[in-house]
Amino acid sequence: MATFKIGKVVLGSLFKKPATRMYPVVAREWQDRTRGHVEIDVTSCITCGICQRKCPANAITVSRDTRTWEIQRMQCVQCGACVDNCPKKCLTMKPEYTAPGGEKVIDTFNIPEAPKPAAPAAPAADGDAAAPAAGGGLKCDTDSCVFCGLCARNCPCSAITVNRDEKQWTVDKSACVQCGLCVEKCPKKCLVIE
Amino acid sequence: MGKRTIIPFGPQHPVLPEPIHLDLVLEDEVVVDVIPSIGYIHRGLEKLVEKKEYTEMVYVIERICGICSFGHGWGASASIEGAMGIEVPERAEYLRTIWHELSRIHSHLLWLGLLADGFGFESLFMHCWRIREHVLDLFEKTTGGRVIFSVCKVGGVRKDIDAATLKEISDTLNALKPEIKKLTDVFLEDASVKNRTVGVGVLTKEDAIELGAVGPVARGSGVYQDIRLTGNGAYHELGFEPMIEEAGDCYARTKVRIRELFQSIELITKAVELIPEGPIDVPVKGNVDGEFVLRLEQPRGEAYYYAKGAGTKFLERMRVRTPTNQNIPSLVKMLKGCDLADVPILVLTIDPCISCTER
Ligand code: SF4
Ligand code: SF4
Repeated sequence: MATFKIGKVVLGSLFKKPATRMYPVVAREWQDRTRGHVEIDVTSCITCGICQRKCPANAITVSRDTRTWEIQRMQCVQCGACVDNCPKKCLTMKPEYTAPGGEKVIDTFNIPEAPKPAAPAAPAADGDAAAPAAGGGLKCDTDSCVFCGLCARNCPCSAITVNRDEKQWTVDKSACVQCGLCVEKCPKKCLVIE
Repeated sequence: MGKRTIIPFGPQHPVLPEPIHLDLVLEDEVVVDVIPSIGYIHRGLEKLVEKKEYTEMVYVIERICGICSFGHGWGASASIEGAMGIEVPERAEYLRTIWHELSRIHSHLLWLGLLADGFGFESLFMHCWRIREHVLDLFEKTTGGRVIFSVCKVGGVRKDIDAATLKEISDTLNALKPEIKKLTDVFLEDASVKNRTVGVGVLTKEDAIELGAVGPVARGSGVYQDIRLTGNGAYHELGFEPMIEEAGDCYARTKVRIRELFQSIELITKAVELIPEGPIDVPVKGNVDGEFVLRLEQPRGEAYYYAKGAGTKFLERMRVRTPTNQNIPSLVKMLKGCDLADVPILVLTIDPCISCTER
């Protein structure tokens, strides 16, 4: 009957270098894909609030009034949903973890004013709804519209429906976040956000 | 008949990484009855479906458990895909299979370590976890996370693995094989370890079936049952056969998991050879309307997922039933008649995951 089978392994590891690393003296190597923390490029953010709605951990708060983008670092679970869903691709996932600490860090970024069609300010909404005030919004000049459907295809919220056969253009006001992507993409420039 | 004593076991106990409470009714040193109670770690994750869109719900569901997180992500995605009638590309199915089997390897290595820790074999515990690190590194390289992966999404997977990295995965695992074998031999052959496991906590085949045991607990009692035989993933192309042991004791359950470890390495090697080129996801449009039930073989056994949508972007219900939930009745059965000193080992051999159970 075998006893002390582990002996060889244990003795062997006496002469090997340790399997653990002397952190933080020896730095950790990050992989390219490591999901460490979310970073924002403030210059392209349009404060649409899609990231806030998509975040499963409610870590992001976007305010159109104060033009701020806020992330609670301890709340974020690094799922990457915000990065995937941002229509302007201004969020990126960076490899380094945020520094350990006892404080719940909230990072606030100011979004510079952009020469974008001004949208009515959204009421401060809690939870998942960052929908702008209903009634305001997107209009299509159906006289010059060619019903190409580019706006519908580019809408991050699937709010626009274009029916080519019946020459109909409709927007679901509750779904539209007035990000202005459709306005940008429209080849005939027949969309406006009022 | 001796005097009866009740000994509380848990929710805080050195062998329990997670809280479950057992009231052990003892006569002298022998357990005659067990009353389990759970409810210490309920987080109400399923309720979040009302607030999180179905696409993001996947990331919530995968956080049910830190060990079988990939499987939970897969289960949630696949049940929603089923309800929406989405067909996932074949490459995505292969990638899911590879990641799922990697999870099984790291889960079983973790469990072997915990078992060693349970009977006080600290060096064995450390070495099992040392090897597990290599698997976690592979995860970090391919998914970006060591424990929570967030790579499964409705419609496929979010990240591809290139051919060189796939080769690296299978090479690393095959190189680890002799090292793993050195450790698993200790579990299977060392006399002092066998004294703690052989003949302890026997669960007969009839009992296993009767009590609805799943996973390695059922297979260790000779029940031919493994959800990998029936459907999801690329298993049907990899020639999968479940690992069965007949004895039904702790040793048999350990052996099943050890054999599965090596089998998972084989499955991954084969999947890396066979993986087809192609897209890794399909676009998902619209809302979930309808319902779907799916079963998946997690490292701990069969898990069950139910998704129901009502035509909005929020699901109406998402239900997950996890393997530990199913195995608690078998645990109670095994514990009756055992020695008090064997209780920790027996609790460990069902590989309990209480966070999973309570969600
Ligand atoms: S989704 Fe992108 S553009 Fe919209 S608020 Fe968030 S970061 Fe800004
Ligand atoms: S990574 Fe996930 S948890 Fe973190 S802010 Fe983005 S969506 Fe929220």
